[in-house]
Amino acid sequence: MNTSRRDFLKASVKVGALLSLAASAPRLLTRSALALPPGKDQTILIVLQLSGGNDGLNTVVPFADDLYHSSRPTLRQVVVKAHRISDQLAFHPRMEGFARLFGAGQLAVVQGVGYAKSDRNHPTAMHLWHTAEPQPPGPSTGWLGRAADRLWDPGAPNLPAAFVGAIPQPFASSSGCVVVPSLRSAHDLVCPPEEQTTAEQGTSLLDYARRATAAAQVNSRRLEAVLQSGAGEYPPYRLADELRTIAQLIRAEAGIRIFFTELGGGGIGGFDNHAGQLGNHCSLLEQLSASIAAFARDLQRDHLFDRVALMTFSEFGRTLHENGRRGTGHGLAAPVFVVGGGVQGGLVGAHPALTDLDQDGQKVHTDFRRVYATVLDRWLGLDSRAILGASHAAVDLFRA
Amino acid sequence: MADEHKTPLDPRQAWARYEPDARCPWNLARAGHLYRRAAFGGTWMQLQRALADGPQKTLDGLLRPAADVAAFNRQLDDYETPPGDDRNATELRAWWLQRMLRTPHPLLEKMTLFWHGHCTANNAKVESAPAMQRYLQLLRRHALGDFRSLLIGLVQEVALFATFDAKANRKALPNAGFPRWLLEAQLGAASEQDVREAARAFTGWFVQLDQLRFIEREHDAGAKKILGREGTFGAVDVARLVLEQPATSATLVRKLYRWLISETAEPDAQLLAPLVTAFAENYDVLALVETMLRSNLFFAPEAYRQRVKSPVEYALGLALGLEVPVATQPLGDALAGLGQNLLHPPAGTGWSGGRNWLNPATVAGRLKLADALLRNGPYIENSNPSAVAQKHGQSAATFFAQLYLQGGAPAGGEPDARRAAYAAAAQPEFQLA
Repeated sequence: MNTSRRDFLKASVKVGALLSLAASAPRLLTRSALALPPGKDQTILIVLQLSGGNDGLNTVVPFADDLYHSSRPTLRQVVVKAHRISDQLAFHPRMEGFARLFGAGQLAVVQGVGYAKSDRNHPTAMHLWHTAEPQPPGPSTGWLGRAADRLWDPGAPNLPAAFVGAIPQPFASSSGCVVVPSLRSAHDLVCPPEEQTTAEQGTSLLDYARRATAAAQVNSRRLEAVLQSGAGEYPPYRLADELRTIAQLIRAEAGIRIFFTELGGGGIGGFDNHAGQLGNHCSLLEQLSASIAAFARDLQRDHLFDRVALMTFSEFGRTLHENGRRGTGHGLAAPVFVVGGGVQGGLVGAHPALTDLDQDGQKVHTDFRRVYATVLDRWLGLDSRAILGASHAAVDLFRA
Repeated sequence: MADEHKTPLDPRQAWARYEPDARCPWNLARAGHLYRRAAFGGTWMQLQRALADGPQKTLDGLLRPAADVAAFNRQLDDYETPPGDDRNATELRAWWLQRMLRTPHPLLEKMTLFWHGHCTANNAKVESAPAMQRYLQLLRRHALGDFRSLLIGLVQEVALFATFDAKANRKALPNAGFPRWLLEAQLGAASEQDVREAARAFTGWFVQLDQLRFIEREHDAGAKKILGREGTFGAVDVARLVLEQPATSATLVRKLYRWLISETAEPDAQLLAPLVTAFAENYDVLALVETMLRSNLFFAPEAYRQRVKSPVEYALGLALGLEVPVATQPLGDALAGLGQNLLHPPAGTGWSGGRNWLNPATVAGRLKLADALLRNGPYIENSNPSAVAQKHGQSAATFFAQLYLQGGAPAGGEPDARRAAYAAAAQPEFQLA
């Protein structure tokens, strides 16, 4: 079974054709040069998990409410004027980046989000957010995994979704079909070059493997170019590194439509501050705000920010009252942040009143699946009903 | 495979024993094909011996090896008894990979892997290495044995109850997940009525301290109607009722066809009929596997490279050829990254596999893993592709082209052994089984 030189050349030509099909480099050039408005099919969603239950009340601070100050003698924040969202609310003093994004109309604060019947237990509450399925036992897939399956085109083949981070992949991206990789850096997608030299007669499965291999090689070479060109300035945080990786993958046109990443460490800890909350939470909020601001700046350089929407979530908020150990307990509602060039910036929904609490937690007025449905339908152009198993009213998040 | 011949679609012709002839000769390509399907790939010596022995004699050794397989497995059972943290199954996973690499009966491990993807237990739910070990031993014990014993064993296995969130099956709160799997995965489909009634039969079983206990007062002892039969059934009875259904044999034969022969074409019922009838008689897995592997159809173009290798098959096929010890702890992690985390398959459905294994990220990941296996690093301490080619008296380019692709070396063949091995492993053909 010797491969003749002629066969070898024939195979090379075939692979060459595949390469140019797979390459979307020309698209990249035109978009960068002419800053075309984003095509609906190229929008990108980034989902950022804040693990542990973020304290929404110290993130979006109701500074004008005396009850806030009296309930939190040591944890209460004195806000700066520049961070004001309204005459009642302001971002935490360490969240300058969020304040600027809000001022530029690129950040939406969706208030009072959660699940009304949350049992406030970390694993079950998180599983709820991951599956978007309140009835136990949940499905064997997560909502982002199901979205990835919808975007999966095994004819191409494409790479619809990726988790970026060092922790084990959270359940939300568990899929039924497509393999969602866990990436620590963009280098994970860079493989050593190799030409396709075999000339075996093609079956449709072999053609598929050839296309997949060609796509992996094309991605690799484009990523190498992006990695060499240097990235924007990012602060020295793990989240910032992960967002830089995401920016590199977006810039290399790797075709990934859904990125999933995390802040807080994945398990209990992170945002779960039952004691000594102040320093740890301030630091996490600074990482959150500064990393996302740097990411936005980086993508704005070549007009990629308009294609991106980043949303945060956490399994629940925290109690209004601080406890005897200068921490807070598991609460209920918390704000969800949505950032991006196409985002309709501003406050969405009312701040849940501190005078009307459920076991010291803020009441939920916006079911979290309404936010999911909105980003799936209005941003990714998918059918949220098929992914979430039910219809949910949209939230006003995106510019028309 | 340069030669072409028409589909032996006639079932008798398709399942008749393959005897090489001029149109369908015994060659290196077919030996490689056999070792990819009936094992995890072959070494140079195995492929050469197979070439000399012919297909049926090679199959004798793959189906019923002369070596003392039981002794090997007992030894590994001892090794893998998990010390320390027994919630975590990564050591057990590493030992399983060692077993796949070193076993004198690779077909047994290949079939254990098949059953793992069919009767899924997932340690994310089980959180017990001892329970996963008992489950894996059950799969291995019956992997080429009696499917009835396997299925009846499974409905008494802690790992399965835990995987299906059924650690407590109260009379007032029956769990549908496990009985649903039992019915749907064997029969292809099940009515909600049957699932509900079967869930009642499962009540009374509790997982306590890693053991299964039956609590009489929590068992619904009333009459149930399942699959058209009435009785005061318990969990094992449901398994027996499933085994009485003709659909069970048909579903398993179809699934095994995908595993051993082809995942690209749905076989028609007529083609499978003789196998379905034979399997339904005594559920003899070895006989079914033997019929498939020895057949004309198995060695026909309809089967050749008509499966995508799973990550385990890709990595082990590469590693076996290098003839050096492999660190399977990190390898288990790498395979998880490629979508196949052993002992953690998607509950109920198993890995969807096929084309889903390959996307631009997983192919890049496979090629990076191939590159890493060919260097000294986390997986292999002394990776020496050049030495293994030399040992068998071949030029590196020819050796790796034949070992991994059963093809000729490309023109201007790569003289550097590591590069030659990577060049072969990076070819799309090597992604296929």
